[in-house]
Amino acid sequence: MKRLSRGEGVTGWLFTIPYLAYTIIFFVLPFLWGLLLLVSEWNLISPVREFVGLGNLLEALQSRRVHAAALTPFKIMALFLPAVLIMSLGIAVLINSFKKRQGLLAVAFFLPYLASGVSMSLVVKGVVSYTSPVNKVISNIIGFVPDWLGTPSLAILVIALMIAWRFSGYYALIFLSGLQSIPGELYEAAQIDGAGRIKSFFKITLPQLYPALYSVLILAVGLMFGVFTEPYMLTGGGPNLATHTWYLEIYYQAFSTLRAGYASSIALYNAIAVFIVVGIVRRIMQAWGRAHGWED
Amino acid sequence: MLTKKRLLTLVLVFALVLTTGAAAWANSAIFWTAPNPPQEVFWTEMAKRFMAENPEYNIQVFPMAEAPSSEATILTAIAGGTAPAASENIFIGFGAELYESAALVPLDTLEGWDELIAARNMEGAIKGWAFPDGHYYILPIYSNPILYGWRIDILEELGVDRIPETYEEIIEVARLAQKEGLFLMVRPALGMPTWWERWFDFFTLYNAISGDVPFITGSEITADDEAVIDVFKFYADLAKEKLILTQDIPDAFATDNAIWSELGPWTFPGWKEQYPEMVYGETFALTMPPIPEHHKDDAAGNTFADAKGLVLYAQASEEAKQAVWDFIRWVFADPAHDLLWMEATSLPPVRDDLADNPVFAEYLAKAPELVPYAESLAFAVPPFTHSDFADIQTVLSEEGLIPVVRGTKSPEQAWEDAKAAINGILNR
Repeated sequence: MKRLSRGEGVTGWLFTIPYLAYTIIFFVLPFLWGLLLLVSEWNLISPVREFVGLGNLLEALQSRRVHAAALTPFKIMALFLPAVLIMSLGIAVLINSFKKRQGLLAVAFFLPYLASGVSMSLVVKGVVSYTSPVNKVISNIIGFVPDWLGTPSLAILVIALMIAWRFSGYYALIFLSGLQSIPGELYEAAQIDGAGRIKSFFKITLPQLYPALYSVLILAVGLMFGVFTEPYMLTGGGPNLATHTWYLEIYYQAFSTLRAGYASSIALYNAIAVFIVVGIVRRIMQAWGRAHGWED
Repeated sequence: MLTKKRLLTLVLVFALVLTTGAAAWANSAIFWTAPNPPQEVFWTEMAKRFMAENPEYNIQVFPMAEAPSSEATILTAIAGGTAPAASENIFIGFGAELYESAALVPLDTLEGWDELIAARNMEGAIKGWAFPDGHYYILPIYSNPILYGWRIDILEELGVDRIPETYEEIIEVARLAQKEGLFLMVRPALGMPTWWERWFDFFTLYNAISGDVPFITGSEITADDEAVIDVFKFYADLAKEKLILTQDIPDAFATDNAIWSELGPWTFPGWKEQYPEMVYGETFALTMPPIPEHHKDDAAGNTFADAKGLVLYAQASEEAKQAVWDFIRWVFADPAHDLLWMEATSLPPVRDDLADNPVFAEYLAKAPELVPYAESLAFAVPPFTHSDFADIQTVLSEEGLIPVVRGTKSPEQAWEDAKAAINGILNR
């Protein structure tokens, strides 16, 4: 292997230093600081900083609130993943079917992603309010107004659909680029062999979308462990902790009860949970990809 | 080459700059206001006037960051050694956290404290703000007694000629309203565990019965058990008959969907813009919180006070603390400044003489809906003093009030469970 000259090495380091510095300042140091914090009971300013060892980690393991926060991502995921995949794939297919103005359509569907979670929550709050037009129609059909945010299963549904609405335009862009890279000959060959549109979709489109699907699923699953604004604005984590998320609990412990050490221990569990679940999804997707001829 | 004359001039100029700089430094201080534009406007104006009268001072006013919360902003500033000399927007629960961390200056040890309290006529109001060591660390600025609004125009249509005062009377009126498709109250927060919401539903009613009995004293629950259960039972009765709605109807009270609502004085400026038909004495009246019939003769008749004040931070330099303290004393020595505060913010200043002092008479005559707030200041109880305020009120929601409203626990069981959970926090 050719050794780099001294000048080339320096240039390489110069290009690398900004990212290294960014990583060290914003990831490594806070992570180490978090590890230091989680063994203490401290509000960041008190002169008394009590060393509690693994106390915070053990307390979090026994907390009803943390259990609820650990369960909520899976409840939301069960509704969010099918919803966002169907919506984003549908949008991508729709945009792809247009010969002109694809960019304009893509931007239109992308807009909800740019809107703030707070403003979207206010819109949804209006839609599910007791006297909203939607509820009037529903009330005329079923005879009562559903308590959208006060019933655990409905509150999860509202939050899942709201996040799906927000992210479907963004994921659609990833799917769109995947769709546009599928060679047209594959469809022509399938058509000659007598495959219909549905069969072509499942046998050609979906497997060919593997790279896009892989990215979207990893992003979507990771997203579930960082949900905050929607339940914070709409339900406060209720009813009965049904929509309580990791970030709500970390926020509550860090900024309401001001227990920085305990909040750090929950953040660590959150990171471990993301790591494990994303790892599992990755393995499943890679196995599916291999089964359809893709290499790791 | 510099000549001797030029060198001397330079030295003199340098010395002058140093002296001026040192003088400015000696009387400089940073003051953080609440992240609320009217409050920022008030304090900026005060600093401007103060410095016009006292040019040797340099008081810089900035709003504190709201995200993630004003408490977190203050904590991180103290942790980072960048706290201001003083800030407002401190309620007594957070004050307790800062006090336990030795982050505050005991204001009553500063020169001129007694004169300030006398000048602002707040000898009575300040009593509830003493900390466990007997010192005062917060100077209360405003206090919002929470009162209840009644839609008197709708009551009249319902044939009710007297505003209900007891739980039993309220339930009777609520049943009449229900027949007309109206709710007694619309309050989604009754289904949410958000800790501070309990100030406006639980503690407002609790204080009406229990009076000055503190909810927590030190590390013990000293709440009046009977009063807590009375309040829980009231909400349970209302929820059971579906007289209250825990779903959202935007501005339900002003839009004729509910006839009863807790109201703070911050409500009215918005109404003037959005609901000009809401006129005090014509469409709505204000009352103190209701009580159960069996407490009609012995209830304390208090309410909850959403009150906040200002503090001086221990980590600021002595010069900055002195400068900001001089500024604060100047602000509160003149009742005209409190009038300006009320005009800017609609928040009642903490003064024992707010309802009687002629300085405020003209303003209150123009804003008659604020008169009941001024009159009830003496009966407004601030939040309990404990650093675990958020946790305590969260479990009070999760184990107490919310299950009662949902009908999954009896009031007695809910209070037992809430007490056990609160004890768990107090013994942590």
